[in-house]
Amino acid sequence: MAAVGSAASWLFRLRAAGAEGHWRRLCGAGLARGFLHPAATGKDAAQRRQVAHFTFQPDPEPREYGQTQKMNLFQSITSALDNSLAKDPTAVIFGEDVAFGGVFRCTVGLRDKYVPVKNHSTFYLYEFDYYFGVHVQNMEDSCTGKDRVFNTPLCEQGIVGFGIGIAVTGATAIAEIQFADYIFPAFDQIVNEAAKYRYRSGDLFNCGSLTIRSPWGCVGHGALYHSQSPEAFFAHCPGIKVVIPRSPFQAKGLLLSCIEDKNPCIFFEPKILYRAAVEQVPVEPYNIPLSQAEVIQEGRDVTLVAWGTQVHVIREVASMAKEKLGVSCEIIDLRTIIPWDVDTVCKSVIKTGRLLISHEAPLTGGFASEISSTIQEECFLNLEAPISRVCGYDTPFPHIFEPFYIPDKWKCYDALRKMINY
Amino acid sequence: MAVAIAAARVWRQSRILGQAALLLLLRRPGARGLAISHPHRQQEQQFSSLDDKPQFPGASAEFIDKLEFIQPNVISGIPIYRVMDRQGQIINPSEDPHLPKEKVLKFYKSMTLLNTMDRILYESQRQGRISFYMTNYGEEGTHVGSAAALDNTDLVFGQYREAGVLMYRDYPLELFMAQCYGNVSDLGKGRQMPVHYGCKERHFVTISSPLATQIPQAVGAAYAAKRANANRVVICYFGEGAASEGDAHAGFNFAATLECPIIFFCRNNGYAISTPTSEQYRGDGIAARGPGYGILSIRVDGNDVFAVYNATKEARRRAVAENQPFLIEAMTYRIGHHSTSDDSSAYRSVDEVNYWDKQDHPISRLRHYLLSQGWWDEEQEKAWRKQSRKKVMEAFEQAERKPKPNPNLLFSDVYQEMPSQLRKQQESLARHLQTYGEHYPLEHFDK
Repeated sequence: MAAVGSAASWLFRLRAAGAEGHWRRLCGAGLARGFLHPAATGKDAAQRRQVAHFTFQPDPEPREYGQTQKMNLFQSITSALDNSLAKDPTAVIFGEDVAFGGVFRCTVGLRDKYVPVKNHSTFYLYEFDYYFGVHVQNMEDSCTGKDRVFNTPLCEQGIVGFGIGIAVTGATAIAEIQFADYIFPAFDQIVNEAAKYRYRSGDLFNCGSLTIRSPWGCVGHGALYHSQSPEAFFAHCPGIKVVIPRSPFQAKGLLLSCIEDKNPCIFFEPKILYRAAVEQVPVEPYNIPLSQAEVIQEGRDVTLVAWGTQVHVIREVASMAKEKLGVSCEIIDLRTIIPWDVDTVCKSVIKTGRLLISHEAPLTGGFASEISSTIQEECFLNLEAPISRVCGYDTPFPHIFEPFYIPDKWKCYDALRKMINY
Repeated sequence: MAVAIAAARVWRQSRILGQAALLLLLRRPGARGLAISHPHRQQEQQFSSLDDKPQFPGASAEFIDKLEFIQPNVISGIPIYRVMDRQGQIINPSEDPHLPKEKVLKFYKSMTLLNTMDRILYESQRQGRISFYMTNYGEEGTHVGSAAALDNTDLVFGQYREAGVLMYRDYPLELFMAQCYGNVSDLGKGRQMPVHYGCKERHFVTISSPLATQIPQAVGAAYAAKRANANRVVICYFGEGAASEGDAHAGFNFAATLECPIIFFCRNNGYAISTPTSEQYRGDGIAARGPGYGILSIRVDGNDVFAVYNATKEARRRAVAENQPFLIEAMTYRIGHHSTSDDSSAYRSVDEVNYWDKQDHPISRLRHYLLSQGWWDEEQEKAWRKQSRKKVMEAFEQAERKPKPNPNLLFSDVYQEMPSQLRKQQESLARHLQTYGEHYPLEHFDK
C-alpha cells in the first residue's frame, strides 16, 4: 500500500514539475497557482504535504471513436469545448478569466482559434432564426474569437443570468463558474429561473442550450471554499441536470452531451483530476448518454456507488475487499446525479443485496441519502444489510484536517467489512 | 443628442463628474460601431516615468491635491424629459414626434382597453373568480409609449406590470384571460399565477415572479442578438424596487462591459408594495446609476406617452447602431394597489392617489392631446368605452366557461423529455385519482 502511495506521489510530482514552468506563465489567479503544484520537495517526511488519497485508474483506450490522443482532464475539457465551438457557430464560452485560458487551463487557445474565415458559409439556425429572423452570415464583420470566448465581470449571478438569456434565444451558452463553492450567488438564477423556464412558460420558452461548468471537489488543500461538492443542493431541483465525470474520456463525452442536451445542465469537474487523470481520449466529438450510470466492474456480493473522484477510491476499496475478504464488488459510477439512473442501481442491489454509497459532501442531506431512500423502497426485501453511506462529516470542509475529513479507502473498507459481517 | 448634451451640462454644472463624464456621456462609436471604452484607451498609453500623469489601469482620471468628497446631488436630480404638459399640449414643437392619427389612436385605445380589462379582472378576483390580479393603473403610458417605439420583433423581458406592451402588440383579450383563469386556452398551460403572461409569437418572454432575474437574462439575449447581426434590440422592464436587487447591478455591468444592444426601462412608480422610494434608495433614483456603469441614461415623464416614445425610439436606434446599453427611467405613479393582496390605504393617503388619478394620468393627457387635434370627441369616447367594455366582458365570460387543462400537464415540460421517474409519479397520480377522484375538482378539468 505504501509502495503504491509513494509511486503515485512520485509520478504526481514528476508530472507536475514538468508542467510547472509552463503553468506558472499561464496561471494568473494567485490561488490557483497553489493548486496542482507538487508537494514541496521537503526534507522531513513528517512535514511533507499529504499525497493524493486515490490513484487515478485510466480506462482502456476507446476504439470506437477514431483516433485518440493522450489528454488529462483539463485537456479533454478543452477538446470538448473546441469541438463545440467548431460545429456550433452560436456557441459562446464565458465566465471569469476564461479568455486567457482559465485558472485551470480548460479554455487555453480557444479565444484565438475561433476567428471566422472570409467566405464563411451561411448558417441557418432554426431557433436562433426564429427570434431574430436572420441568417447568421457575414460574421467576420462583427465577430472575432473575442466575442465567442470572453471574460465577464466578477459576478456569478450575472454569469448564469446572462447565460440563460443567451440560451433563451436558442444560442448555445457555456458558462464557467470558477469554483463550485462560488455557485451560490447564482442559485436563484439556476433554481428559480433556468430549471423552471420551460415548465412555467408552457414550453413557449426554454434555456436548454445552457451548460454551466464548474471545478468541484476536494483537492488536498482547498479548505472550505475550494473543495465543495454542492450536487445535493441542485439534486432537489427538477428541471436541471447535474453531471459529474470520473475521467478525461468520460468528461469529454458527458460534457458534449450536456452542451447538446435540450435542458440546462450543470457539469462539475473534479479539480483534483485536472492534471492527475491522464488517458487516451478521442480527438473527434462523441457523446456519452446522460442519466445512465455505468457498471465499471461487475461483482456478486456488494454494490459500491460513487461519482467523480470517489469512483477511484471505491475501485481501490473493491480490490482491497477482494484481496483481504474475498468479497466481489460491483462498482457503479452514477455519472448523472439528476435525473439519476435508478434502474441500474436497483438491478445491481437486487443481485448483491448490499449497497455502499460514498461521496465527499457532508453526510446529512447528501445525495447518498436520496439513493439510500429510493433503494430501500424499491429493493427492501433484497437487502441483506442496512445501506451504508461513507461521506464527509457534517462540517464545513476543513483545511489542515482534510486527511481526516474525507471518506478515504480505509473508511469505505471498514464500512464494507461491517456490511459483509452484518 | 440634444438630450445628452443638456444632461451633460447639468452634470458639469454640479461638478460631479467633470470632463471624463462628458466623454462617457457622449461616447463616440468606433470603427465597428462599437463604443471605444476607457480601459482600452488606458492600455494604449505609453508608460513614462517622467510624466506625472496617473498610470493606474483602473481609472482614467487626473490627480487632484485637494481633499474633496464628491457630493451626490439629490436636491436637484437628473431632469425629467417631457414633450406634453399636463394638459396634453406640446411644449417644444421640435420634440413633437408628429405621429400619424392612426398610431396615436392605437396608443389611446391600447391604454384604455388595458384600463378596462384591469377593472374587470380586478373585480373578478374580488368575486373569487380568479385567484390573483395586478392592475396597471397610471403606468399605461410607460408600456404603450415604449412598445410603440420598438420593432415588433424586439425581444421583451418584463417584470409583471407591463401588460400594455402585450396589449399594444395585439395580444388577444382571450389569451390574457386564459392565463388569468388558467384554462385550456392558456399557452402557459395553467402553471403560473395570473398576470404571468408570455407570448413567443409577440416576442414577450414569460413573466416570472422573482424580481430583477430578467435583467441579466435580457443582457444575454441582447448579446446573442448582437452576434447574430440581428438588428434587434432587447428591452428589459423593471421597477425601481427591483433595481435594488443584485441582479440589476449584474445586468447593468454586463451590458456595459459586453457592449450589448439593450434598453433598460425602469418604471419608477414611487412604491415597491408599501416601500416608498425614500426607503428604497438614497441616490438620485435609478437614472443616476447609469453613468456609474458607463451607460447612457435619461429620465423621462412616464405619464407622457410621447416623451416615453421619443426616448425609447432614440435609445433603440443608437443601441442597435452602436451596440451599447441605454437606461431610461420613466417617472410615474402606481395608482392602483400593488396587487389584489394589497390595500394601499394602509401606507398612503387617498388624497395622494386621487391627485395622480385626476390630475396627472397618462390616459387623460393623451385624450386632451387627441381632442385638441380634433382626432377624438365625446361621442367617440362614449362609443369606445361601450365597445371596449363589451369586448372585455365577452372574453371574460368565455374564459369563465372553459375547462382547466388536463392534470397530466402537471408533469410535462419539466425537461424537454419526461424522465422515467417522473413518468412513474404521473402514473401514481393517475392510479390515486381512480380511487380517490371524488375528492378532487376533476369536473372542472379537461379529460
